[in-house]
Amino acid sequence: MEMFQKRNSLPYKHEHALELLDDNEDIIQLLISKEVVNQNGSYLEIDERFLDFFELVLAANEIINTSYINENIEYVKQHILYWFQENEHTRKHTHLKKIKSILKKIGRITIRNIVDLKRNVENTFKTEPNYKVKLSKLENHKKKLIDIKKLIEQTEKLITEEERTFFVTALDEELRSITTNLRLSLIEARHNIIEIQKQIVEFINQIKYQSEFIEKLRQVKYLKDQFEVRVKTNIDVVLADANVLAFETKPSYPLKLSLDSLQLDDVYKSILKINKKVKTGVKPVMQVADKISEDYLEVKTENEIHINLDEVRNNFIASGNHLFDFLQNYKFPRDVLYEEKVTVYCQMISLYENDLEISEKYSHHNEVEYAIVYPK
Amino acid sequence: MSVPKQTAEIFEILSKGQFICSNSSNERIRKLFDVIADDENFSSLYEYFSAINFILEEGDEFYYLSRIEQKVDLERKIETAFKWIEIVDFFKAYDSSFLSGFRFQPSDILVKVNVDAVLKDKLDGLKRWGKKDTYKDNLDNIIKMLCADGFAELENETLNEYKVLSSFKYVEELINNIHIPEEVQDEIPE
Repeated sequence: MEMFQKRNSLPYKHEHALELLDDNEDIIQLLISKEVVNQNGSYLEIDERFLDFFELVLAANEIINTSYINENIEYVKQHILYWFQENEHTRKHTHLKKIKSILKKIGRITIRNIVDLKRNVENTFKTEPNYKVKLSKLENHKKKLIDIKKLIEQTEKLITEEERTFFVTALDEELRSITTNLRLSLIEARHNIIEIQKQIVEFINQIKYQSEFIEKLRQVKYLKDQFEVRVKTNIDVVLADANVLAFETKPSYPLKLSLDSLQLDDVYKSILKINKKVKTGVKPVMQVADKISEDYLEVKTENEIHINLDEVRNNFIASGNHLFDFLQNYKFPRDVLYEEKVTVYCQMISLYENDLEISEKYSHHNEVEYAIVYPK
Repeated sequence: MSVPKQTAEIFEILSKGQFICSNSSNERIRKLFDVIADDENFSSLYEYFSAINFILEEGDEFYYLSRIEQKVDLERKIETAFKWIEIVDFFKAYDSSFLSGFRFQPSDILVKVNVDAVLKDKLDGLKRWGKKDTYKDNLDNIIKMLCADGFAELENETLNEYKVLSSFKYVEELINNIHIPEEVQDEIPE
């Protein structure tokens, strides 16, 4: 079976066959002696006759053989002739039997051929990489198709016109059913042929279009690469006429979002989602204040000697001196400058106005004119 | 004039320069195609769009919009057309049956690029639209462009398999419409 599968590819190696048969050399020798397999150097091949037989039985042949049908039609004609000429009953019957079997065969083969042809057409279209080969293969299939069509016509003519006398006179039940079947299969075949013909034409057109397109593309590309396409072709005109949107940059319509709907809760989810996608290079960093210097944290006490004006007043009342003179001589808890003493003088007057008697007399000291003030 | 209820959706797609194709793997798009394909709908949509200066155009198994007046300058169109020619040329070199309905996987193309100098050269030529370093990135970029222009789409995410849409015929037609005078054709080597 494996050899059959590879019949169209490489020759089959002797050692492969040996491997397949569990190293049983005897079987190979037997096959060779019976001429099932031919040995050709280190290669083995299935004999042509068996190959044909397998292909026929397995309905796997790729070659459509129309001459076969033609031959059969001839046979039918011959046997009909013999049937007419034969007088002896049994022998007449043998011819009739032969005719029946051939007629059956014709129907079967025709349909078989059409199925094969259809498959071949599709295979060619789908798998043949070379456009030119593909095209000629399809053209050939088309020819085959016409041949089959002719044969169908011939067969029909044979049954209905040419040998009409036979089919009327020799009519028995079996022959009738065979001819009816044959005619039915021929009708079916004809329908199929029309379909295949349509398909082939379509395929050929497609291929022609495609190969023309590829040729055109090649030429345009060549001119483009030579920077000549705009000068030597009408590309400018073609494009000037084409106002297709596909040429434009993809527009975006930046509509402003509705502020009202942005307030909605479900929109907030979307905002969060989108926000995750937005990746800016800027990372918002919280500005951190510098460390507080240790110096600030250390507790430092600063002593300020406060002049208690109440005390000064009490002392002043106890003294008999006038205020300015008293302040000049007063022993403050710290050193007090002259200017400060003047300030204290003014403060005393304004604070304790009621306790003091401010006279109309003035005196001078170091360019400062002051009123003489006594306690009440 | 009554227009089909899918008009907004149709306009949304077509106005972005996209195509609506019959062989899209997106069911929604196929549905829209069927809506436009209806004769009555087509004529009402045609009128509707022409009122806002668009022409609804019918291609072979696809629809698109064009404008009544030219909006883009010729240079830009030439640039785009050149890009398409290069891309089509590359894919046709990969497989001559690269046309509407064709399925491909970037990995398959890459395999062929590695062993085919012509293909490699063509892919290099496409670099100027992407400036990518590796062949893979460059190829991905081209496929992305092809999809963005609406000529192909990712059909199977698991297999990373793309499909060529019927809109691809638009580019084919465009290239076919370029007339090369016979005397120029003779100059081009075989």
